[in-house]
Amino acid sequence: MEFKVEAHRIMSISLGKIYNSRVQRGGIKLHKNLLVSLVLRSARQVYLSDYYGGICLSAQQAREWCEGEYMASKQGKLVPGSTESLSESDEQSEVAVDKQETRDVVESPAGLHVETQASGEQDSAENGVSDSGCSDIKNPEESPEATQTCEVASVVTAISSNCISAHSPSDPKEETETPTDCQTDNSESAEKHSYEPKAPQAYTNRKRTADDSELTDSPTKRTKLTSTSLPSTNDENKGETEEMDTSNVSSLITIFGSSFSGLLSNKEGEQSDSEAEDSDSGQICCDQMLKNLNPWSTAIVAF
Amino acid sequence: VSNGYLFVQEQTLRFLPLFHILISGKGLIMTKSAQLAPTLLSQMDEEIDTRKINNSFLRDHNYATEADIISTVEFNPTGELLATGDKGGRVVVFQREQESKNQPHRRGEYNVYSTFQSHEPEFDYLKSLEIEEKINKIRWLPQQNAAYFLLSTNDKTVKLWKISERDKRPEGYNLKDEEGRIRDPATITALRVPVLQPMDLMVEATPRRVFSNAHTYHINSISVSNDYETYMSTDDLRINLWNLEITNQSFNIVDIKPANMEELTEVITAAEFHPNQCNTFIYSSSKGSIRLCDMRASALCDNHSKFFEEPEDPSNRSFFSEIISSISDVKFSHSGRYLMTRDYLTVKVWDLNMESKPLETYQVHDYLRSKLCSLYENDCIFDKFECVWNGSDSVIMTGSYNNFFRMFDRNTKRDVTLEASRENSKPRAILKPRKVCVGGKRRKDEISVDSLDFSKKILHTAWHPSENIIAVAATNNLYIFQDKVN
Repeated sequence: MEFKVEAHRIMSISLGKIYNSRVQRGGIKLHKNLLVSLVLRSARQVYLSDYYGGICLSAQQAREWCEGEYMASKQGKLVPGSTESLSESDEQSEVAVDKQETRDVVESPAGLHVETQASGEQDSAENGVSDSGCSDIKNPEESPEATQTCEVASVVTAISSNCISAHSPSDPKEETETPTDCQTDNSESAEKHSYEPKAPQAYTNRKRTADDSELTDSPTKRTKLTSTSLPSTNDENKGETEEMDTSNVSSLITIFGSSFSGLLSNKEGEQSDSEAEDSDSGQICCDQMLKNLNPWSTAIVAF
Repeated sequence: VSNGYLFVQEQTLRFLPLFHILISGKGLIMTKSAQLAPTLLSQMDEEIDTRKINNSFLRDHNYATEADIISTVEFNPTGELLATGDKGGRVVVFQREQESKNQPHRRGEYNVYSTFQSHEPEFDYLKSLEIEEKINKIRWLPQQNAAYFLLSTNDKTVKLWKISERDKRPEGYNLKDEEGRIRDPATITALRVPVLQPMDLMVEATPRRVFSNAHTYHINSISVSNDYETYMSTDDLRINLWNLEITNQSFNIVDIKPANMEELTEVITAAEFHPNQCNTFIYSSSKGSIRLCDMRASALCDNHSKFFEEPEDPSNRSFFSEIISSISDVKFSHSGRYLMTRDYLTVKVWDLNMESKPLETYQVHDYLRSKLCSLYENDCIFDKFECVWNGSDSVIMTGSYNNFFRMFDRNTKRDVTLEASRENSKPRAILKPRKVCVGGKRRKDEISVDSLDFSKKILHTAWHPSENIIAVAATNNLYIFQDKVN
């Protein structure tokens, strides 16, 4: 599981780099962003590689997550989960609470994320975190910025902030280590959080500028006059790409939502019966999402 | 036997530093931006963390420092001149002093010959993009008359500069006086013929051609063809062929842009013309492959004639395998028989006749292989190191971190690590080989991997075309070394 932790970290770093490339002088560098997106894709593949082996959220829960219905209804599910090693979970939850309270409204969906993860399994560490995360959940719905793009931001923050804290350690040694990981990871991701809300707009905007840059190409391949004619209206392309953006965004939310729970779900036999059927529907859901997700990754460089 | 082959001698390497950046008495044309030029001298003691410089809130404070970072180094075909370009868009040209008979043991030193502002920052209003003035590449043209010509490029625009000397000026005009003021015709009583009088030597740089608006993406290379009439400019996805005389038109000869940008998997990272065959050129990709194209085959060289790629070693697979296999520089040998590629950890020499695998592979700093994740975080993994051949193609050189640079002798298979730093470069002192300690026990002179300074990187080096003189750019300092002559 360590490699999944690593994969998470690399994914969050990669997303941070892609965002930062927007503000660098000289414009977005295609080569570097391509390489970063390749790393992002590799990390995602590693992260999801164990997906079908795990147990994923039911499709029902995934839909609820998408629509943004919150954890008031799910709080009931959490309590029975927390049994052993409450002390450790408290420690983690303390850390998680501290970090979460300092974040702003947009980031609190990260707590929401933890909720969804926790509901699918019974590991105490996660439950501890999710208990603390409960209180913050109402906020994002009331936030004026809670648009779809905002959800992407929340997904992104969820990746960066909760990957460690939500990670289910398999042995006691790791459990003691994760609080510190949680801290360091949260502290470094806290920096990124200030950027994250703008990230999704960055993606959408960048796609538009991508089209703009493409439009100035001269269609002729042989001779290129310096006074390239103004681009012919590629509005259809723009429309297509914008459509693709929103559909990919929603699919991204779903895939990350279900994938997180899939990651964290315990492989214990206890829950396997109840979740076996869930996994089927979840798998179908995820198949579709995984296919759609690829274009999104490459869309990063499509400028 | 010539003393050109350093490693033939018993001693590993005996390089002397000849580091002088002096404002020589030859005189300079100072443009309005050149007041930054003195920082070339004064900034040498500053530690620059280039990673931090991109933060906008630091940018203004560090701008003068950042502008001095050398971004390209190039000798001219005779080796008489050495040009450097920096991030501030300036070009500084050094000229080698003529060897004097009085002091035969003292080889010619390089002094500043000309400084000019080649590129200015621009703003593309259509795309709301700032175009950096950083000089990405300089390439010299062969000398055809008394003037020198070079091509310099930033991300978007290539310029042809003429550097010429003026040591005479006409004096004795009839209609105007010595200061240029118009004379009152009534005061003119006799006619005279203006004559050329000697004056203090002045070196002027004038832009003769500006090749612009042909690249959508960032230009990474320029290369002059052997016909000396054409050159090519390369960006991430396209290669354009220009005639040196014509600025409003260029031919596109390679285009790897996919119809759907989402399918983009690789970009062009460098390209170069064959040194002897004007129809042949190569370009490297971010996937670690090199394509050789023949312009006689078709006007559009999307189909390659040769494809050089080494299969990836599956045991070395990691998240960063793609990044470290991306080729940052490609260079033909002077003979034209070989080509050399630089990726993040290795330098490889390829035979043009063998496409399946390289002839030789040299590890530059393999101890970084286990640190790729941290190097990814601090962006060092994206550093683009260049590589150079010596004049006889027997030695190759490339840079590393901690101001180290490495040389590999292809014949003896010996290699050496040297450091370009002020402490180690007293005049006439011989450079001491350095060693990076990988394992547990560190010997006295060794440096451990963890104490390497990754902000001190040598990306750009140049080797004199015929002699063993090398120029090494370490951030904003230029070091010139030559081998010891007995």
